[in-house]
Amino acid sequence: MKRGVMRRSIGIALALLLGAAVVVAVVLGNGAGGPTVVRGVIGSEKKPFFDDPRVRAAFEKHGLRVEVDTAGSRQIATEVDLDGYAFAFPSSVPAAEKIRKDRGVTRVFSPFYSPMAVATFEPIAGVLAEAGLVRDSGRGYQVLDVAAYMELVAKGTRWDELPGNTAYPARKRVLLTTTDVRTSNSAAMYLAMTSYVANGEDVVTAAGQVPEAAGKVAPVFLDQGYSQSSTEAPFEDYLVMGSGKTPMVIVYEAQYLSRLFARDGSITPEMRLLYPAPTVLSKHTLVPFTEQAGEVGRLLTEDPELRALAARHGFRTADPAAFTDLAAKTGAPIARDLVDVVEPPAYDRLEQLITTIERLYADGSVPQAEGGS
Amino acid sequence: MTAPPCGLLPATAAARPPGPVLRAVLAPVLALALVLGLAGCGPGEDVADDPDTLRILAGSEVKDLEPMLARSGVKVKISYTGTLDGAEQVAGGSADGEYDAVWFSSNRYLSLIDGASARLSTQTKIMVSPVLLGLSGAKARELGWQDGKATWKQIATAAREGKFTFGMANPASSNSGFSALVGVAAALSDAGEALDAAQVSAVTPELKEFFSAQRLTAGSSGWLADVYARQGGVDGIVNYESVLLGMKDLTLVYPGDGVITADYPLTLLASAPPEKRELYGKLTAWLRTPDTQREIMTTTHRRPVVPEVRPGPEFGSAPLLELPFPNRRAAADQLITAYLDEARVPAHALFVLDTSGSMRGDRIEALREALVMLTGADRSASGTFSRFRSRETVTMVPFSDGVGTPRTFKLPEGDPGPVLEQIKGYAEGLDANGGTAIYDGLRAAYSESLRADPEHYTSVVLMTDGENTDGASFEDFRRLYEMLPADIRPRAFVVLFGESDVAEMNKVAELTGGAVFDARDSSLAAAFKEIRGYQ
Repeated sequence: MKRGVMRRSIGIALALLLGAAVVVAVVLGNGAGGPTVVRGVIGSEKKPFFDDPRVRAAFEKHGLRVEVDTAGSRQIATEVDLDGYAFAFPSSVPAAEKIRKDRGVTRVFSPFYSPMAVATFEPIAGVLAEAGLVRDSGRGYQVLDVAAYMELVAKGTRWDELPGNTAYPARKRVLLTTTDVRTSNSAAMYLAMTSYVANGEDVVTAAGQVPEAAGKVAPVFLDQGYSQSSTEAPFEDYLVMGSGKTPMVIVYEAQYLSRLFARDGSITPEMRLLYPAPTVLSKHTLVPFTEQAGEVGRLLTEDPELRALAARHGFRTADPAAFTDLAAKTGAPIARDLVDVVEPPAYDRLEQLITTIERLYADGSVPQAEGGS
Repeated sequence: MTAPPCGLLPATAAARPPGPVLRAVLAPVLALALVLGLAGCGPGEDVADDPDTLRILAGSEVKDLEPMLARSGVKVKISYTGTLDGAEQVAGGSADGEYDAVWFSSNRYLSLIDGASARLSTQTKIMVSPVLLGLSGAKARELGWQDGKATWKQIATAAREGKFTFGMANPASSNSGFSALVGVAAALSDAGEALDAAQVSAVTPELKEFFSAQRLTAGSSGWLADVYARQGGVDGIVNYESVLLGMKDLTLVYPGDGVITADYPLTLLASAPPEKRELYGKLTAWLRTPDTQREIMTTTHRRPVVPEVRPGPEFGSAPLLELPFPNRRAAADQLITAYLDEARVPAHALFVLDTSGSMRGDRIEALREALVMLTGADRSASGTFSRFRSRETVTMVPFSDGVGTPRTFKLPEGDPGPVLEQIKGYAEGLDANGGTAIYDGLRAAYSESLRADPEHYTSVVLMTDGENTDGASFEDFRRLYEMLPADIRPRAFVVLFGESDVAEMNKVAELTGGAVFDARDSSLAAAFKEIRGYQ
């Protein structure tokens, strides 16, 4: 084993287990002519997709068996030893771009994407609307005004200070729950949209813009206190423990929609999906290192069955009809087209923003919001 | 449902050898006097590896789930340790290779330690339980909280006014104590965001008022619940909702200004090899099946973590407001320090020490070392928290043929350094000679305790390596003990060492409502450190 083993194991979650039994069942009897195993490292939010027996069966038809480990997208780009994998499938373009350059890969695949969204509850959406943070887009869904939200955070506003708030009179600060920006891609995507606002409605492109933007957005992360490391965890808290712990949480739209489309009862009538304005698209981008992995990327992009399954898992694909049909059936206010979408900063800038915030964690000198306490 | 600390055994099992004894832990009725078998804890234990067995380092809080795991189809070997000790093992890397996974009631403190996150792989929450105040029904009615509604602020006001007393586990040794401390501090500071160092300083005077009502401390949430159930002595205890729901005649107070909730993440270590990852995946998948989740809920009173299983009516319907948890270690450590040095009722620890001839050589050296460790020589976080603290009183009562001269050290409010040096000097000067007058020593300590400041939390440690050879008998001690006023006589925590008379030592612990700690096959220093949680 190489020296990279230790690093590779950092943050990697074993993902093949649940699927393993299924695979065995599917593969049994195939004998020596069984499918080719293609092993990849992916962002954790795509694990349910790859574990889905229908997805595994679809790959099987093409002679492939896809095994996946999970890791944070930032770790895939920096810490994971990719030599043991046939492909990397991070959840964002900046991370994929870094890997593509590092490995000298020419062709990458972006088979599906998901906008960043906010999962909340109807009474809280009402309170936020009253406070001017949430408004109707006029296109059938509600949006959360990121700039207004950041102003509120800068003032240290608490829930019980919001005018007319009787629905959620908590003493704690109005803060969106996120994962830890130092490890998790969903938090990095949230950083992308908040830094856009902090940088005067512009993508952070120059190193000189980083300190000010990072300083402005730091409280939205640090003031939350302890944050969890994987994107599933706070969303699960939201589903299970409700508004007491997680009144509003940053999620991938797909996380919420896959639950909604599955009609498994976990999305209750009180739950609401909002779209931040601006939002960022998490473009899941597969970077293949082998020919078979390239085939995996191609199938995900072109195979109608896999595309349909991706839509069932809440992802938006090149076939918008599949998604909009599912969305329409639920009757939920899901955005068909999002207009206020911004690009995330390039890999290096995003990394600089994160490390600047990381330093604030380390030295403890967070610029505290004025007022509030 | 109350889980005892690391290696805690029913007293009756103590005479048996340590290995098999550990299996007796789940005897349905726990004797009040309990033995801590330290040999079963920590990395020193020989955990034989086997590719089919998932080795888990766990907090004692999950002990009640161990029998259920047998049905998971995954072979599991669990070793128990204290929360903070376990966190240090993981963060320092000594758990790597020894264990495949860790399972504590929370990973939050662990995650704040530098380098710890890199040692953790997948974290899977198994169940949740908030830390609450449970009050006797009568007291809850008296305070007007019979509907379970009060805020930490109201609770603190009642505490300040002396309207009730409570027990709580030591925040430096138990996650339930630490969670409660974070919750109370966050609520009282009225900070809307996670506490930082400045806010901890600012809230300390209020914490002191709150903790003035604390009249019982413990090294573990399980022991705390057992002692309260058997002896009462306080109006209620702070503990996990799951523990409180399993107790009789308690009103659960759900603080309206927020709680801290344990989420029991079963966590794969990054160092685990592929075959262990597979076992981990199977076990967590099984634990999160709706059937297992329902079983956990109905048998252990913990709330489920999968949306498919909705919490039952026993948990009430009010949403629990979760308070923010610090995201920097400095703030967390400062909070524990503020509790120990300023907020808690200061301790008066009496040490009854065997300095008989049989202690000569390695044993007296081990005793010296164990005491020196408590003067600050152990520089780990858990060592720092378990050393003698500011405002504390320490009395040494050595005995051999008879009782030596008791020596009392008072640590000042400010810098404890000079007094710690004196204690260190005293410990290093201990010598071994003569007979073993255990009960003369114990009687002297209890007489001494009568002079203790009533504003201190007084407890006795008895450490002996053999049978009583001189002076008073156990019965003599019992007579003295029974003459003392019940509300002020301290508990005795007994350390088994060398050739201790296990049966009689158990009687001492049982009589006084203390516990027995077994240092026969492990270090005396580890036993003393563990006992500090109970002082």
